[in-house]
Amino acid sequence: MRITRRAALLSAAAVASFAIIDRARAADTIKIGVTSPLTGPAADVGRIQLNSARLAVADVNAAGGVLGKQVELIVEDDQTTNPGIVLAFSRLAANPDIVGFLGSIRSTQVNAMAPDVARVGKPVMFGGTDPTLTHHGYKWLFRCRPNDSYSARVIADYGVNTLKLKKWALVYSTDAFGTGGMNALTDSLDKLGIKLALSQGYANQQADFSPVVLAVKQAEPEVMASYFTYEPDCALFARQLRQLGVRTPWIGSPSIISPVTLGLAKNALFGTYGIADFTPDANDQSKAFTAQYQKAHGGEIPDSGWTFDGIKILCNAMNDAKTTDPEKIRAAILSLKGYKGTEGEYNYDENGDGLHGYNIVKNDKGKVEFDKHVEMTA
Amino acid sequence: MGILLQLLFNGLGIGAIYALVALGFVLLIRAASVVNFGQGEFAMLGAYFLVLLFKILGLPYFLSIAIAIVMMAAFGVLFAGATYWPLRNRGGIPVIISTIGASIFLENMVLVLYGPAAEQIDGLFDEPGIQVGPVFMDSQYLSILVVATLLVILQYLIFEKTLLGKKLQATSQDKEMASLLGIPVAAMILITFAYSSAIGGIAGILVAPILFVSVQMAGVIALKAFAANIIGGYGSIPGAILGGLSLGVVETLGAAYISVPYKDAFAFLMLLMFLMVRPQGLFGERISEKA
Repeated sequence: MRITRRAALLSAAAVASFAIIDRARAADTIKIGVTSPLTGPAADVGRIQLNSARLAVADVNAAGGVLGKQVELIVEDDQTTNPGIVLAFSRLAANPDIVGFLGSIRSTQVNAMAPDVARVGKPVMFGGTDPTLTHHGYKWLFRCRPNDSYSARVIADYGVNTLKLKKWALVYSTDAFGTGGMNALTDSLDKLGIKLALSQGYANQQADFSPVVLAVKQAEPEVMASYFTYEPDCALFARQLRQLGVRTPWIGSPSIISPVTLGLAKNALFGTYGIADFTPDANDQSKAFTAQYQKAHGGEIPDSGWTFDGIKILCNAMNDAKTTDPEKIRAAILSLKGYKGTEGEYNYDENGDGLHGYNIVKNDKGKVEFDKHVEMTA
Repeated sequence: MGILLQLLFNGLGIGAIYALVALGFVLLIRAASVVNFGQGEFAMLGAYFLVLLFKILGLPYFLSIAIAIVMMAAFGVLFAGATYWPLRNRGGIPVIISTIGASIFLENMVLVLYGPAAEQIDGLFDEPGIQVGPVFMDSQYLSILVVATLLVILQYLIFEKTLLGKKLQATSQDKEMASLLGIPVAAMILITFAYSSAIGGIAGILVAPILFVSVQMAGVIALKAFAANIIGGYGSIPGAILGGLSLGVVETLGAAYISVPYKDAFAFLMLLMFLMVRPQGLFGERISEKA
């Protein structure tokens, strides 16, 4: 078949016009950049978080979008590593159409990307719980989960005042999240007049936790607290703990009640307590979100709602500010009071912390039962 | 004393895992002069084959294990065809890089096909373990120790007592000369890859009930297994076993009595000390440059 010059020109014009239309359509949406662990040890948790963010976008778009435009997520894989998230964020930040971002649940990753966030100067909604993240003067970071100063206070309060236990051991990851939790719990217990009998750190992704378990066993605590970053670590530790005969009451950070951990550890976690920023039956919003998620994803129960809340808060802020100007979005987020999200009631303080309390839950033979919500005043 | 004995048992158990994976390294080094950085992914793939056969297809547990091992042997041949064969005449470095590339590909392939969810799988025995005095002996660690011992004996017999083993060693030492002597070099190399892949798969199947089945499971143990191989003596079968076991014990005791967060550092400190003081490892031969 001969291709005439005219046919070639027409084809080229058609391709060019499709490209222009596509570009125009792309420019006609409000873009939010998402750094998500699509690969690496947090990929399973990341999948649920990304699904939740997409549900929030669907809700926002169904309600008319933002400033009359539909919202679109641009996703980059953060590989569950610090270099990965820095690279992912820099790729997203290079796109001038992106008006805000959804960051990581890992404090260590938020720490790694924070200098770039300051340079870019656009709001980032994130889930890392290291208290210091919002106290380094990074004005563009907005936390959508309660920080560990609250988690530690709730753990300490529940263990000392509800369970009436005084001799404590703590097991924590030596990364930014775990160390932040360790400092906060040590401080909280100190205020209640209690010194830790054991404060035991470990490096992430271990194949054997027996030295940690035996250290706990030797300390003979009445109660143990934990800050595990990765779910398989928590599950492996739980199994070895029970195998080596330790039955101490255990109050863990949210990874202890993650569906991933529960599925891996099974009966090794029965009877443990957890603090949870998100619990499916904690409030009307979390119940509605859980039902919506289950309908969209084959009955699976989500383990968090912070990405859902983060997208909605960001979109609300743009609609309230009536602009995508970063400074005005920031002001709108900080002025947000009494916003009822899936993780609780958001009242942003001047540091960018939106939530100030935790739920206490108990693992009742594999079923996570909501006990109570503890709201802390500053 | 009870604590020390418990630590020793767990150290030997985790060391046996390193040793099993190190055995796979040794085979390819001895028979094909290949350092295979995809050895950890062999373990991961073996565990995923077990998940596929046992949990998804619902086959009986021990039949699933047997089929998974056969599948791993077949996969080893494919792996050789993709990573080794096209580069076999270009020296060691291109093959090493090729195996690194293949390991990244395998990890991501499993991630795409199966997803990121870690999977829990049953061990060989229903009982979690037995209590012997103050020591709890995890049944899966015991299984690994027994299987590692059996595999060492099997490998020793194959390499030292059979014609096949002699042919494999001859192929490793000088492929051209082996070919002139009528040894089917290509077949020898494919057999080695198949066997090494099957051993990797066995390691993964045995480790899976302890570390869970996940894309990351390979990374936790492969690097330590390679270090065990260096400590034991490059290419030495008893060295791989002793290197793995000693590495497991040293890091466990170091973690318990000095510092838990620096557990990995003890393992690699041991490696550094061997590289400085006894680079040929525990059982390796002194390597000197020929005139």
